[in-house]
Amino acid sequence: MDELKRHRILMVSDFFYPNFGGVESHIYCLSQCLIQLGHKVVVMTHAYGNRSGVRYMTGGLKVYYIPWRPFFMQNTLPTLYGTLPIIRTILIRERISVVHGHQAFSTLCHEALMHARTMGYKSVFTDHSLYGFADVGSIHMNKVLQFTLADIDQAICVSHTSKENTVLRSGIAPEMVFVIPNAVDTAMFTPAPKRLSYDEIVIVVISRLVYRKGADLLVEVIPEVCRLHPNVRFVIGGDGLKRVRLEEMREKHSLQDRVEMLGAVPHARVRSVLVSGHIFLNSSLTEAFCIAILEAASCGLLTVSTRVGGVPEVLPDDMIVLAEPTPADMVHAITKAILLLPNVNPFAMHDRMKGLYSWHDVAKRTEVVYDRALLCSGGSLLQRLPRYLNCGAWAGKLFCLVMIINFLLWQLLQLLQPSKSIEEVPDFLMLENQDKEI
Amino acid sequence: MQHNQVLGGSEGEAQALKPLKQDMESMPTNNSGKQKWRKVAYGGIQPGYDDNYTDESFLEGMVMNANVVKRDFLKVMLDSVSISQYLCVASLVVVIWIQTLHSVIGETSLLCLDAGLLAMGFSIILLTASQLSLQLFLHYLLKISFFISGLYILAPVYHTLTRSISSDTIWALSVSLLLIHLFLHDYSGSAIRPPGAHNHPTLSNSISLNASIVASVLIASRLPSRLHVFAVLLFSLQVFLFAPLVVFSIKRYSFRAHLWFSFMLMFMALSIVYALRPVLFVILLVLLVFVSVICPYWLIRIQEYKFEINGPWDEAKLCFDITE
Repeated sequence: MDELKRHRILMVSDFFYPNFGGVESHIYCLSQCLIQLGHKVVVMTHAYGNRSGVRYMTGGLKVYYIPWRPFFMQNTLPTLYGTLPIIRTILIRERISVVHGHQAFSTLCHEALMHARTMGYKSVFTDHSLYGFADVGSIHMNKVLQFTLADIDQAICVSHTSKENTVLRSGIAPEMVFVIPNAVDTAMFTPAPKRLSYDEIVIVVISRLVYRKGADLLVEVIPEVCRLHPNVRFVIGGDGLKRVRLEEMREKHSLQDRVEMLGAVPHARVRSVLVSGHIFLNSSLTEAFCIAILEAASCGLLTVSTRVGGVPEVLPDDMIVLAEPTPADMVHAITKAILLLPNVNPFAMHDRMKGLYSWHDVAKRTEVVYDRALLCSGGSLLQRLPRYLNCGAWAGKLFCLVMIINFLLWQLLQLLQPSKSIEEVPDFLMLENQDKEI
Repeated sequence: MQHNQVLGGSEGEAQALKPLKQDMESMPTNNSGKQKWRKVAYGGIQPGYDDNYTDESFLEGMVMNANVVKRDFLKVMLDSVSISQYLCVASLVVVIWIQTLHSVIGETSLLCLDAGLLAMGFSIILLTASQLSLQLFLHYLLKISFFISGLYILAPVYHTLTRSISSDTIWALSVSLLLIHLFLHDYSGSAIRPPGAHNHPTLSNSISLNASIVASVLIASRLPSRLHVFAVLLFSLQVFLFAPLVVFSIKRYSFRAHLWFSFMLMFMALSIVYALRPVLFVILLVLLVFVSVICPYWLIRIQEYKFEINGPWDEAKLCFDITE
């Protein structure tokens, strides 16, 4: 590939393997596909237990687990400037051209983007979740996001609803925000080889059993569905605070033989749980983009979901039954899905999903964003400061102060450890060897 | 296309294109032949549109200030009466403290005051209760007698508990604790439930109540005798613990009675404070005017800056109660 068009990307987030979730798999799959497109990708995250230092993953994906311990919900302690030296070293060593941060509540991501801007690197940010505007936590997070996005080159959101949310929260121009959804690895999520019989209908739920995922809604919906449809059985995968409530519901309505609780399901086993069912039920109360729905649809399951956040954008109308997040409407939607079920061909659905979503498509679209980011004018510190100053009467001045101090610290580091003294890592291509092995 | 293996997305790409084409064909087209942009995430990049395309439907679902209540100046002023009233109650307590410390009020008159307050509070609660019952009365009476005897037994302890602390510290602490109490006090009465109902005290309520009790205990150590300590502590606890309940009962019974009661209290507090020291009278008067006239006006003025955003990204609210 043309050396000029080849990007050298640093993905930064607090959330990465061995943790598991939407952001983690997004970073992993996107990195793999970008590597296949000929770009160089390096991932940076904080240390997970003993996993500290440099690790290599499939396809030569290099991962820096920097020695900072998480302190709250897998986040590193926000220190503003503490991570500057190590991030500077990584940026220089790997000759990075674009820094790509993920997830609005990752402190490491915000710090890395701040340092990258100070040092004049191009920066891209992907927002994976939705936030409100009313409570103290949201107000604080939105201010932090405003700071990070004040001087960002391009931003990415995972759905149109998420884009509206991000634009409102951070006040950046909508033209700077790209919508690139998540995707699903269709080869991993294939339908069951044999079609299941419709004598007994199995409804699968796989989610963390917490308030935000609508576990309380399930408690209301399941007994009612079981009462209306004697041939329905539920399989619930996942663990969380609300598991006790679900178990109580099962005892109270004597549904032990019709509601199976599997506990936490490791990601590798998700497919085997999914293919044992006919209908996938998602009861989330908020969702920027629901990867679980994609995985279920790829396995050929009909999806019933709450109409929240970005969910209505995820699948064509004939592949999903949407309901308002009320027990009555959910029960109605499940009944509708059971009636639709004989018309659903899992294999046709799987083939359709292949056309609708692919990580390669996501990678190509992200590549365009990187190209645009490189075209953006950088400017000196003095040219960039007004962008921060516009963030608010008090916040603007505070943000400017933070950036000026960061700039001075960077200059100090340049004196103490000149860029020339940092050794650059040679590039090597894994692609050819790997293809031969397969 | 050799780089599809790792994620294995490409086996049978040709087959996959067919259903995709169906999805594309089902798209609505406008007159120019160009497909209309749709607000969907599936199907890859939409032909003819960049990923950062923003059409006129952007932020269509946003609702602004949906739940904002228009406030009425008179209504806010009347609501603020609760605050002024409690300020007067607190200032009366402070006056009693000061007079006792200066030995203007003796222990006998203090005890009479306690008994009078207790009788008055009782009669108000019983008169305004929805059903008048002897059982409720006996229930209250039993609790109060336990409370009073407990306090009487502990009075010597309170008398010496903070005696070793210097007087300056005691004054400074008492004043700041009272300020904390007034700042965190629950003026709306939302945490007060009629007896029997579930009570959910919040953190700020508990802090407020505890601050007032600690302040009274601190003051108690500067008093001349045990009987003084008992009388003053009983008085302050009666006011801080039970006055909110009494006030809430009156308010629930009749708002007009609440207003009359408040005005009476204000008049009483202002005249007593004036007799004590005119400077304090001016301060209290300014405070009352500030709370009941300036603050409501201020609140109405800043209403126009209220900016509330709702939209499809909001977390759904459950329409049923989940506390079981």
